[in-house]
Amino acid sequence: MKIPIIERGFIPPDPVAPDSLKGIPRQQTNPVRWKGDSWQDFVDHLKADGVIIRQERSECAVFDTDSGGLAYGLPHGIVRPNSAEDISKTLKAAQTYKVPVTTRGGGLTTEGESVAFGGLLLDMTSMNNVLEINQETMTVRTEAGIFWHQLAEMLRRDGMDYLSAPLNLTASVGGTLGVGGIDVNSPRLGCSADQAVALQVVTPTGEIVECSETENPELMERVLLGYGQFGVITEATLKIRKFSPITMKYFYYSSLRTAIEDLQFIAKEDAADYCGILTIIDRAITLLVAFDSDEREKEFNERWRKKMRGHGEIGFGIRMALHYLLHPWRFKEALYIIGRRLTLFPEFSRTEFMRDNKIVDRTVVFSRAVWKYWGGRQMVIPDLSAKAEKFAEAVERGNAVCRKYFKYYTLYCVGIKLRGRLPRYEMSCIPADASDIAYGCEFEPMLKDMDYSRDHLQAFKNEIYDIGVDMGLSYYRFGGMMKGYIRRVFPDEVVDRHLAMKREADPAMILNPDVIF
Amino acid sequence: MPKTKSIKKNKKGYESCSGCGVCLLVCPQWRRTSSMSVTRKARARAMQAGVLPEEIASSIDACLVCGSCEPACPEEISITSMNIEQRIRLNRARSKYPSWYPVPLKKAFISDNSILRRSTIVLAGGSGLGQKTCEHIINLLGGSKKAGLAADDGRDIAALIEAGMVLDDERIKYFLNNLRYADTLVVAEGILHLPLREWLPGKKIKGFGEALMDIRAIRRSLGPEDMYIIESRGYHSDFERLVKYYDRLRHETGCQMNLDLQRIAIPTGASSLQARHNIETAGCLEHAKWIMKGRRVKRIVVEDFADIKVFQLITDIPVIHISGLI
Repeated sequence: MKIPIIERGFIPPDPVAPDSLKGIPRQQTNPVRWKGDSWQDFVDHLKADGVIIRQERSECAVFDTDSGGLAYGLPHGIVRPNSAEDISKTLKAAQTYKVPVTTRGGGLTTEGESVAFGGLLLDMTSMNNVLEINQETMTVRTEAGIFWHQLAEMLRRDGMDYLSAPLNLTASVGGTLGVGGIDVNSPRLGCSADQAVALQVVTPTGEIVECSETENPELMERVLLGYGQFGVITEATLKIRKFSPITMKYFYYSSLRTAIEDLQFIAKEDAADYCGILTIIDRAITLLVAFDSDEREKEFNERWRKKMRGHGEIGFGIRMALHYLLHPWRFKEALYIIGRRLTLFPEFSRTEFMRDNKIVDRTVVFSRAVWKYWGGRQMVIPDLSAKAEKFAEAVERGNAVCRKYFKYYTLYCVGIKLRGRLPRYEMSCIPADASDIAYGCEFEPMLKDMDYSRDHLQAFKNEIYDIGVDMGLSYYRFGGMMKGYIRRVFPDEVVDRHLAMKREADPAMILNPDVIF
Repeated sequence: MPKTKSIKKNKKGYESCSGCGVCLLVCPQWRRTSSMSVTRKARARAMQAGVLPEEIASSIDACLVCGSCEPACPEEISITSMNIEQRIRLNRARSKYPSWYPVPLKKAFISDNSILRRSTIVLAGGSGLGQKTCEHIINLLGGSKKAGLAADDGRDIAALIEAGMVLDDERIKYFLNNLRYADTLVVAEGILHLPLREWLPGKKIKGFGEALMDIRAIRRSLGPEDMYIIESRGYHSDFERLVKYYDRLRHETGCQMNLDLQRIAIPTGASSLQARHNIETAGCLEHAKWIMKGRRVKRIVVEDFADIKVFQLITDIPVIHISGLI
């Protein structure tokens, strides 16, 4: 693979966004498929090294797209590693033969980041063993290809739980640590990547390295939130806690800004253990608040509840009824909201997941709902992440874009507690100007039973991402699109420094190409 | 005349699979092998890309037809039916079958008038329940005037369905003929629950678990120190109803169950055709070990008689069939 040398400070033509002409729809362009030079030599080398490589059509086809369902590409072959040694051998050979290597966990990217456009795909899900649960240090050591749900299953046998993870059953630990990972308890506990206390990493040149905040801390900081550029995470030590069911409360708003202000208030005052906003279009805005213990709930009720400006369900229902009585031409919208409310909310309180009015296994409850009501063969979820002061405006502008492009959509907003100014936050989902708590919003159109062209979807995403450029924000689930936006969002000095580090760590630039570099 | 050509029309097929992978999390073969290739997700994605069943034969054959993936699927694809339909397609394209495949026998059709007027008929299936146990079950279900044990329990039909082989309409007709007056069928073969519901609409189709747990004395004999093993195929075939039923049971008795965090019953696969051929190569022992990992119980109670042997092989804890609770 030929990696063009980019002069410092020079921005090359980009097919995605910056150099497009005004008025012409911008499209995502899949990276050019790697041609396969030296592939057979690479395969022979790996076979001689005892690494099993699968090239059958039936094996490769499984990975032809990601959750986004917009980017399609096929690897030349797949390695399903059993150990860090397998990965080490693979990456060493890949450097020698200059074969691109794409790592993949749950494949939950939405911009093609975990799609291999030729070359080798590392299916990390084969490395899914939990190695040790230590209740003295309250940590778990696990192989990084494990899905969070598998980890939860293991931890629960010991009455334990992880701290925070994406509300998605099939996100992998390694993939999540590489991008951040947001939960509704992130305003309190931070992103999933901040749970990691130690990692085993295979560098792009094949060295197996242990790292933590004290051992090889530079590598640790590069790998966490590093988009897979600086190594493959093979094992992770994560913080854990005792499992507890949660009590959930809902506050309903008709104003986005008011709901956001209340969300930020709760996060700032640490008034709840979990909080987030989930909307039906921008009419029915729900602030979810939850608690791990009765004490925390009691404290909330005594100190903070009266400051919440949201309504209860009945009060909100009456206001909505009045609103739509005065706007009868919007009755279809009202029917949609009612229908959505009637189907979605009972999912959050299914009897088999409730005990004494508490939700048991909240991740399962939410994840199942996410896949059932938002999932599909295409998922378009651009997002923005901002410091507290800019967040409300960012969401309002993003909401206006949603309105322009789609009839029905959802916004999901949550806070992310920061651990000071860690190097890992640089050029990541964490906005450069954020301190203490950053905020993120996902903009997710409802695509089920709707026919939208790829151009339409891509134009929508670009318009959301452009808000980020305009306001100096970041994106908390970015990836493939970052290649087009990276130099628009981050200063050249920062991008060039990271590119130089990448070149040093990965001389042939083979690991996860086209994600951000 | 009941429809016997297909078990159930798919609401959605593999083309609807979004690749979310939730089915994979509950797949016992995935848990055992960590290989994406053996999963329902992989088969669906491969077929979306135009791969033929012959090319994924080993994956299709690996499926234990436990039904776990179906209730887990957020797209509500009828995965169990889809798995069997894929076996049917694969069988059409091949001449050599796995060693565990059933040999279709020309079975003598039995007209069983002795049970014809019973309100409850027990189909003990090929699970290995002895005559004595069956009589005990009949007594528990109200005695021989109310309940009867079917001589033709349809185990051959269950095996053919599981293997994706051709069902003979005449055979089905005779099988169903004996069951036509019953209100309730207590069916050991979980794989028969779904087709029986379709073939005999209006009849109550229950597994041993539900039928016997309706008896208060049996329910009362379960406690927090029991590990209760739900038969997975029947449970998953009527998941929306039974998940609530078993949740109430768990709440009421305090017993532990082979349910994962999604409330899917973790199967041992002991009743699968593969396991009837070889319990070890089918992975039953590993599945049972996972079920028992971290559990502190004094007794294991199973709905599926075939599970007794599996748990006895991996633990010293006493294992009994549910009918042995009283």
